[in-house]
Amino acid sequence: MTEKHTWIGKLYLAFAFAILYMPIFYLVFYSFNSGKNMSGFKGFTWSHYQTLFADSRLIIIVLQTFLVAILSALIATIVGSLGALGIYQVRRRHTRNLLLSLNNILMVSPDVIIGASFLILFTAMGIALGFGSVLASHIAFSIPIVVLLVLPRLQEMDYAMIDAARDLGANSWQILSRVILPFILPSVFSGYFMAFTYSLDDFAVTFFVTGNGFATLSVEIYSRARQGINLEINALSALMFLFSIILIVGYYLLNQYTQSRRQRRQKDGVYLK
Amino acid sequence: MQSPETILELQHIYKSFDDFVALDNINIKLDQGKFYSFLGPSGSGKTTVLRIVAGLILADRGKVLFDGQDISKLPAEKRKVNTVFQNYALFPHLNVFDNVAFGLRLKRMPQDELQERVMQALKTIQLNGYEDRMISELSGGQQQRVAIARAIVNEPRLLLLDESLSALDQKLRQQMQYELRSLQQRLGITFLFVTHDQEEALAMSDEIIVMNEGRIQQSGTPVDIYDEPINHFVANFIGESNIVPGTMIRDYEVEFVGKRFECADAGMRDHEPVEVVLRPEDITVTTPNQGKLVVSVDSQLFRGDHFEITSHDEDGNEWLIHATNSIEDRDKVGLSFSPNALHVMRFGEKEADFDRRLSEYEGDES
Repeated sequence: MTEKHTWIGKLYLAFAFAILYMPIFYLVFYSFNSGKNMSGFKGFTWSHYQTLFADSRLIIIVLQTFLVAILSALIATIVGSLGALGIYQVRRRHTRNLLLSLNNILMVSPDVIIGASFLILFTAMGIALGFGSVLASHIAFSIPIVVLLVLPRLQEMDYAMIDAARDLGANSWQILSRVILPFILPSVFSGYFMAFTYSLDDFAVTFFVTGNGFATLSVEIYSRARQGINLEINALSALMFLFSIILIVGYYLLNQYTQSRRQRRQKDGVYLK
Repeated sequence: MQSPETILELQHIYKSFDDFVALDNINIKLDQGKFYSFLGPSGSGKTTVLRIVAGLILADRGKVLFDGQDISKLPAEKRKVNTVFQNYALFPHLNVFDNVAFGLRLKRMPQDELQERVMQALKTIQLNGYEDRMISELSGGQQQRVAIARAIVNEPRLLLLDESLSALDQKLRQQMQYELRSLQQRLGITFLFVTHDQEEALAMSDEIIVMNEGRIQQSGTPVDIYDEPINHFVANFIGESNIVPGTMIRDYEVEFVGKRFECADAGMRDHEPVEVVLRPEDITVTTPNQGKLVVSVDSQLFRGDHFEITSHDEDGNEWLIHATNSIEDRDKVGLSFSPNALHVMRFGEKEADFDRRLSEYEGDES
């Protein structure tokens, strides 16, 4: 690689990131605009944040959104992890591949179709649309994600570990709780957080199955945006963006901490031959 | 009838995996406090025997007796044996202490007693001071020791070791051979070691059980098995050897490569076709006049402690020789050996018949 090429590479990278982040910064920037809309910056103000915090309907919706995300991710993680264990236990290769394919089809099928099919199901079964229906559908589309994240970790596991646990006197429950679960825990956590973000993100499915009196943030923002852009939404977006950044930085710091601790211990160690 | 020292007995064990017969009528008795090795090539069924003893798989037919009790159907977690696995199978999410304490915690042992037992086990394998280390922070040799500690802390009366040294490098492996042997003698428990490495088995065992194709070929002390292999497979698998077809002329006289030689074997039919084993280190290189055989040298390899020399006689039979010095004149070399160096094997002789014949005629000889 020549000097010139690396220079072009860097420029390209900067350009790509600029394109990706520009709309977000544009949105955040105008959340401080004292004007009524995004057609020109009139001056700095916190007023949109004030109206945001005074808007109790929106606050409740934010809380509802998080509640749905936390609960659906939790239940999906439990069901999905057990499902992954089940698929892992299947000895016959064809059956296992079939189960995995059925799981993957749910992953790749469009949200609109999943949402519409849930709507048909819920109305056919006479289930009222609202918190319950949204929660159920979020759990349903999160399970395949968890399965897909947990299964590879299980397959990575040395089966001899299970033999060793039995050899030391562990029964099936003790093998699960003391050997398998601790081993797959990191992927269970990533499964949880993935399901959590999918639930927070989701618009299409929720839009179909939400009823009157219950909304999540994405549905609410969509319906408000149709009546014209309100800078209160900008303020909300800015806060959510900040929240994501805090999460990412926190995750990074946690990683750094555990890694440096491991390295320090390794350096301190005196090795036997 | 069960002799009091017998700890494990396998009776008529059969095991198949789909169409593959892994074990074909295995019968063996293990005495308490001895070091046994199951030795065989991969696929010989040695690991299957170990897994059946551990209870990780069940035999199709046959009985496993532990201390005289039939444990054939008992699941692994209820058996009083422990295993050191091939790739250690340590728990990566636990530190050294918790790995070793795993079995004791399952037994709900009181904390102070548990602490003491784990520390004692770590001391036995010289890893005291390592209890807080994670498994990933240990070298291969250290992981090996932790795996041993995790098994012996449960004070099993029979310890199973599945190819436990094969993942270590040469030097460490030899060191661990000494350590395992001395550990077994200190603890006084029975070790059942599974390996494909004949040197390992010869160095450590009280008794070696040679397996091939799901059957026990021969069992005996390392010296017996090395000096008096029962058949072609055992002679070939353990150590290096020259094996030539021959004819037993009469007791103590055998004919091969067209010549007759005095030998130490007897008890066979006169003029019975046999195979003759001659170990390369039992051959002495002399002048062609003094040699019992005359060969010409094909190649010489320096192996550090000896030269490995391949040669052939007039009839084209190959002879492998281990000599301390290399050979200068490669054209005509005499080979000499004592009658004791020749070992005659019958075709298809059963181990019981073999042992009986040997004990009858070895008495004669001395």
